[in-house]
Order: sequence, then structure tokens, then C-alpha cells
Amino acid sequence: MTIQAERIDEVVAALRTVLRDDQILTSKADRLNRARVPAPFPVHRWAERLPDLAVLPVSTAEVAAVVRIANDLRVPVVPRDGGTGLTDGAVPLRGGILLDVKRMNQVKELDLENRTVTVGTGINMLKLNEQLGKHGLFYPDDPASYPCSLVGGRIGTSGWSLIGARYGHTRDLVLSFDHVLPTGEVIHVGDGIGHKISKSSSGYQLKHLLMGHQGTLGIATEATLKLYPKPEAELSPFWAFDNYDDAYRCVGALARAGVATFAGAVLFDEYKVAYLRRDDEAYIPQPGDVRALVCAVMYGYEDEVRPAGRRLFRIAREHGARYLGDEISEGDWAARHDRYATPLHGRTKAGQVVPMSWHCEDAAINYTNLPAVTKAWHEIVADLRRRTDVFDDWGMFAYTSADTGVDYLTEIDVGIWEQQLDDRAWELWVNAKRDIAAVALAHQGSISACHGSCREGEVDLVPDELGRGFDLMLDVKRSLDPNNIMNPGKYHLDRAYDSGIRP
Amino acid sequence: MTQPHEPPIRPDSLSGPFTPGMRDNADDLASMPDEIARPFELADGSSPSQEFAEQWRNASYNCFSSGHKFCREVCPVMQVTRNESWTPTAFHANVVAMERGELEVADVAADYVNCTQCGACELRCPNTLFTGDFYKFRTRTVDVVKAVRAFAVESAVHQPQWKLWNERTNERTHEPVLGQTPVSQERVRDWADGLDLPVGGETVLFVDCEAAFYRTSVPRAVAQVLRLAGYEFGLMGEQWCCGGPAAEMGYVEQAKRFAQHNLDNWRSTGTKRVLVLDPHDYITFTEDYPKYFGADYDIEIVLVVELLAELIRGGRITPSVPVERTITYHDPCRLNKRKGIWKEPREILRAIPGLDFRDVDRVTQWSYCSGGGGGLPVEKPELTAAISANRLDQASALEVDTLVSACPWSERPLSKAGDDTDIDVVDIHELLAESLGITVGGSRGEIGDRRGRSR
Repeated sequence: MTIQAERIDEVVAALRTVLRDDQILTSKADRLNRARVPAPFPVHRWAERLPDLAVLPVSTAEVAAVVRIANDLRVPVVPRDGGTGLTDGAVPLRGGILLDVKRMNQVKELDLENRTVTVGTGINMLKLNEQLGKHGLFYPDDPASYPCSLVGGRIGTSGWSLIGARYGHTRDLVLSFDHVLPTGEVIHVGDGIGHKISKSSSGYQLKHLLMGHQGTLGIATEATLKLYPKPEAELSPFWAFDNYDDAYRCVGALARAGVATFAGAVLFDEYKVAYLRRDDEAYIPQPGDVRALVCAVMYGYEDEVRPAGRRLFRIAREHGARYLGDEISEGDWAARHDRYATPLHGRTKAGQVVPMSWHCEDAAINYTNLPAVTKAWHEIVADLRRRTDVFDDWGMFAYTSADTGVDYLTEIDVGIWEQQLDDRAWELWVNAKRDIAAVALAHQGSISACHGSCREGEVDLVPDELGRGFDLMLDVKRSLDPNNIMNPGKYHLDRAYDSGIRP
Repeated sequence: MTQPHEPPIRPDSLSGPFTPGMRDNADDLASMPDEIARPFELADGSSPSQEFAEQWRNASYNCFSSGHKFCREVCPVMQVTRNESWTPTAFHANVVAMERGELEVADVAADYVNCTQCGACELRCPNTLFTGDFYKFRTRTVDVVKAVRAFAVESAVHQPQWKLWNERTNERTHEPVLGQTPVSQERVRDWADGLDLPVGGETVLFVDCEAAFYRTSVPRAVAQVLRLAGYEFGLMGEQWCCGGPAAEMGYVEQAKRFAQHNLDNWRSTGTKRVLVLDPHDYITFTEDYPKYFGADYDIEIVLVVELLAELIRGGRITPSVPVERTITYHDPCRLNKRKGIWKEPREILRAIPGLDFRDVDRVTQWSYCSGGGGGLPVEKPELTAAISANRLDQASALEVDTLVSACPWSERPLSKAGDDTDIDVVDIHELLAESLGITVGGSRGEIGDRRGRSR
């Protein structure tokens, strides 16, 4: 807790002038349950991550009023949407007001002619698509957390979508949004000032600036999204290989083929296949000589997807792929959000089952560097495991980010036995994360393709990655948030302030 | 640019991929000394909350560690409150926080009111969906909620309306479903007036408090359909509340006492089989009673809706009077989500001539609920009303005139919401009886009776 008790009363009294009592939560359980996200979290130091209170606004005006109060009183504000992020953007580091947008989940306008929908940012994509489905439309932002993450969090983290190679990622799918600045002013950002413009050259491209800032530059409250026809056909072949190298060559060839309906491809490495063998029911049993897998996905109309599929099947065959059949292919893709990371798969080296949490370290890596990064990352995790069973290697995925196969969201999934975490284990982990990020940079990659890079450990390398760009970040931060109230402590942005401004 | 720290490459078993626990793994994997992991021990001087949490630590950690929160948008309470403190993940995380000494039960007891025990979260959990069979594991949110509520009561932390409800139930041996109008042992068979049903026997029909005193048309429909089929049964000798609601609200001692009474009474009338028309009773008799009585519990429990589907299948009853309604079916949570029973009610509805049946599949209905369960309407009627209103909106989008349920406890709040959207809420047993040409009689509750008169 960072606000002194008497100041909390002052903050609550001020908030009561703009919110109803049931929108202001101060109990310890309310705060504990808004302190954590699935990103690496030092559960043994949970109490240090608590907000002082939480608020549940229902409108842009209420969000703006809360932020104005926070700015006036110099109290931190941490935005929380789904709280499903794999970096710690939504975790309060300095207490303050946690601003939870989940009640802003209304569909405000559905424009069938221009193919857009305007929503409160507290809406979940799956729930939105349930409504859009009645009109034959869908919003194709499809992260691993699709059943529970919210549109606002996707904006705040500039999310990555599994089918982004076909439809683009969050930055491409969000046309514009209302945004509350750290001073409480409300602005509308998009391409130009329009709500439904997909490409403008007027002025600076502020939309990109106000996405992916992890809540350090304000809060998106209402967004206009681009919609597509709900795909008539979905083809998701899974192929097996007896070695990683063939699978790697195959995924590259599939991604480079330039098939218009190509929505993405995934490479499972040998560690991932070994991990999946822990449970033959969660995964479909495969013969022992299956050591790597590739999946490619095509979305579109039946008469587009069929010939495209034939082309990709031909390419796969040329690379020694063995097709796993329709049942596995359809079932596995359908289960993509649920199947691959469950605490029950945690095991000690000797094979004891222990509950572990899934921690996914991601980077953006060029195709040509995937094998080297894969090898180096596994070595880092092996070194952790040589020291303790608190850590477990759950294997790696590489997912295409774009339709040309230039770069891949490359992730290593690490199981962490959180019940055993202590300061020593946490330090080992933070160091390993820093090493993982350093490998990505040494191979001309980016620390994160998807999650953000403000977590302890890798965040230390962000200035290295961005160079002079990091100084520009500091300038922007200082200019938009003169009192450092928006999600302070993240991204080393405290360096933007001379001294003393540390709420 | 920072150079990556390059760990030395060591030629041990960790230098390549392997699956832990396989028979042919190298020996060095099991023999590496561990710098950190230790066997768990409950520290001396633990608080009662910590001792409680110890029993649930792995169950709750499996949720806490997952962090997926896929349960959230299917949770009926979350859908209407959007309050993360009242989500399945919070109910598990609180246990972890108790274990770590961050919370005491008094801090969170009131949060645990906000659950209908529908079980949607357990089904939607990736732990249950994809690894449950292999590890013989199921996420147990409902059990955790019941356990925390029981621990709260044991720790003298009460919710005012629940306390009152259970006190009155204790005094009257039935739940106070009629508010100030007393319910009592003398009135528990009033619903059967004029039907001339025997008492006792090998098979008895157990009628839950809501159906016995409020929606009496349901047991009347059931009794008359069974009689038409020539199925022999009697009424219970001295029926008390099943005790299930008390157990759901945490009043475990009372629940067990009521259960003991009912079991003793069945034994005294030579009863071997109990017919159950209410899904809540079905859970109580098939899950709670076996826990209370262990191997001594030798009573066969038959769910009426399954029995009726069987009787139709076997040709012992054939609905033939057309019922001109456009309907959809509400899967009661305790049948669909808790027990996997969804086929038989649809079988019955498809056998009724005249119906235009606009069905919604059982998986979509994981996120549907009436809000009538788990004691929620007793302590927070406004949430029950909001959840029921959601359910009626879903029905309304199908342009139906009738929502059919198979759970008397859902029918009161659903009827209230249905009145606002001009949709009748009818029980499946009532509908079947009508199609068999039976004049059911009894009451469909205040709203049902009023709408019935004007229909």
C-alpha cells in the first residue's frame, strides 16, 4: 500500500462525488483479486502489488472524472481490463486507484454498411462475436485469451492475433477509439479524426502511439472496430515430422507461398511435442518418431480455401510432412485456446505431477534466426532446471506474424511451481527472463511480438532495443503525464522525471 | 547492446527434450539436488483460515496458476455484475490468499454469496476440458464455494438472510418459500389434494419445498402422469426439506440432521426408491447424502424427467393432445451442467405434438442460468432478477411465447422476468401432462396463474 490511510479517505471522498458507492471497492479481497495477471508474478510478494482501491466506471465521462481526481491528488491510476495479459501492464506497482473497465461492455453501434462496430472497451471478443454472428460477421482478433480478454486490453497492449496473417492484428482491426489522457482530458484517436477511417495521412499517427503503452499513457474507453464476413470455410491441417529441421523448412515454405487465405502457421518444436506426450488424452497420441509438428490455417470461402489447401498440402508433402488427418486437424485448431497450457502438466524432472503456472516468454524473431534462438532459449531453461524443479520446460511454438513469413512470434512456455516461489527462485527467474530477451536482441529480434516488454528482467533491455527511441518515449510520457500518475513504475518511465515525482 | 549470458552446455539429460516420468528416462534426472523446492509443511501457529485453506490448496492452485479465466464470461453472476471479486477465479484465489495469511474467512464470506453453484465455470475450465480425464481431475469451484460458506458458518460469520432462512427452515422443517405464510408438516401434502395418493411404499415421490408449497402444479402433473402410466408410488411418510439448500448456504449440521431424518423415514416405510422431480434435490440425494452416509446409503434415486422419457420410449404414455406453443427449453444448471442430463428433456418435448421447439444447444446454455440457485435469491434477489432477465432476453431473441424449464426453483424468478417480456414460463412436466389430456390443477405461482387466466 502506498497511499497513507488518511489520504485514502480523501481519495474515496473525492471519488464519491463522481461514482456511486457500489463502484468503489476497498476491501482487501477486492484489491487482492485485481493485483495479478497470468504473467510471471512473485506470489510470495502478492501484498506488495495491491492497489489501494478499485473503481468500476461505466462511461468515458466517469473514467475521465476518476483520472482527473487522481491527477489532482497525485495518486497512481492503473487500468485493468481482462487482466489476462502476459506482461504485467495491469499489475499495480505503486498502489493507487485500480480502474477496472469491465462494466463498459456495451455494443453502441453496429454499422452493417460500413462494416464497423463501436463498443465499450470492457467487452470480450467471444461475446462480441456471439452478437455479430447473427449478422454473418465477425471481429477476427484472436489471441490465446480469446474467451476472456477484452477489447480495451488489446488496445493497451497492442495485441497479436493468431490469425493476424490474414486479418491483421489489433492495431489493424481497431479503427479508432476514445482515449482518456493522464490529465483526464478525453480525445478521439484514429486515422485522422474520423471514427471509421482505415487510412489517413493527416497529421501524426497517434493511434499507434496510444496503443501498446501498457496503460502508461491513458485509458481507451470506446472503440470502433473493423468487421469481416464470418468465414464460410476454415482449413487447419496438422502435419508431423520426424525432426525439427524438416518442420522448420516446411513452415517457412508454407508462409512464403503467398496464399491469400493464409491466416497463419505454427511450428511445434521437439520440446513441445515431448511436453504434449505427458498426457495422451489432452493431446492425440502420436507414434514415437513424431518429433515436430506444423499447422497451417486458411480462412475464407469454400471455393478459395479448397484450392489454397491443395497448394499447401503439395508444399508440405515436398518437405516430408505426414498429414495427421481431418479429425486431429479440426479438433486441435478448435481447441487452440484451451489445450496447450494447463497447470496439471507441471512435472518435476523425476516425473512427479505438481501444479505449475504457465509462463510464456515471447519475442519477434526473423525466420532465419528461429533455430538459433530456439536452441539458446532451451539452454537457459535447462540451466534453471539443473538447479531446481520450480521451473519446467513446456516447449516452444513459433507462429507467423505476417502473411509473408518474415517474422514469427516465438514463444517458450515455462512451467513455474508458484507454491515454491521465494526470493531466490524469483531472482533466478528474472535473470533468466533478461537472458531470454538478450538472446532475442542478439539475433536482431524484438523482445516481444505480443505481450509487451515491461516485465521485471527483460524491461532492463528495452532502452538497448529502442536506442534513441527510448528517450523519445520518456519525452512523450513526461509531456502527456506531467505528474507520473498513469501506471507508474512500468517500462523504466520514471526516468522521464527529474526527481521526486514518484507517487 | 547487452550480450546474452551463455550458459555452459553440459552433456546431461537436460540438454535435449524428454518427457518426465517415462520408464526409460536417464537416472540423473531424479538425482539432481534441488536448491529451492521443499516438501510442503503447515507452519506452526497457523490460523484457522490457513488450516482450512490447506485442505484446498492444490485444488485452488490449479485454478490460480492457470490464470486463464475462461470461466469468467460464462459465469451468470459475472455477466450481470462485471465484478472480478465475484468470479470463479476469485473464489479460488481467495483460498490461496488465505493460505498465505493475506485473508481471513470473515474478509471474504460475503463475496462467496455471489454464486449460484451452477457449475458452468467447472465445465469451461481448460483443466477440466482437456486434462481432467487423464489426471482424474475436475475443477471444483462449487465444492470450494460450499466449503468456504460452511467454514464461515463454523466461524460464526453469517449472512443475515441466510441465517434467517435456515432458522425458519429449522423451525418448520421446510423452507419458508411462502414468506410470512407458514409452511408446515401438516401442509406438505396439500398439493396432492383430491389425487388420493397412498403414503409410503417401496417407491416414494419426494417433492421439494418450492414445488410442494408454491408451484404445486408441478408435483400434481408428475403424480398424474405417473398414475396414467400405471407406475406405482406413494408419498413420503414424514417429509422434511432435503437439507440441500442448508448445505449450499453453509449450514452443514442442519443439512445432515435433515438428511438423517429423511433417510430414517424412508427406512421406516420400507422405501427402496425415491423419485425426484427437482434437480436441486437430485444433487442433494446423489452427492450430499452419499457423503453423509457412506456405504449405508442404499436408496435408489430416480430423476422423474428421465423416468418419463423412458415411459414415452416404452410406449407406456403417448402425448397426443397438441399444445400450440412456440417454445425454447431452459437447461436447468443442475441437470445440464452438474449432471450432464440434457437429452431426456428434449426427447419429451419432441414427443409433444403441436410444439414449435426452437432449441439452443446444451453447450451454449452453459452460460445461461435463472439465478435461482445456491441461495442467491435469498440473500441477493436483485442479482437473481438480473440473471433471469438475461435468460428471458435470450429466449425473446428466438421469438418464442413460452420458456420451458424442468426446475421449480428456476420457474419463480424466470416467470417474473417472463412477465416483463410477455413470455410464459412453463414446467416440462406441466406441458407433458397437458399433452396427455390431464387437467393438472394446483398453482403455477402468482404470475403463472394470472397469465394462465388471461391466456
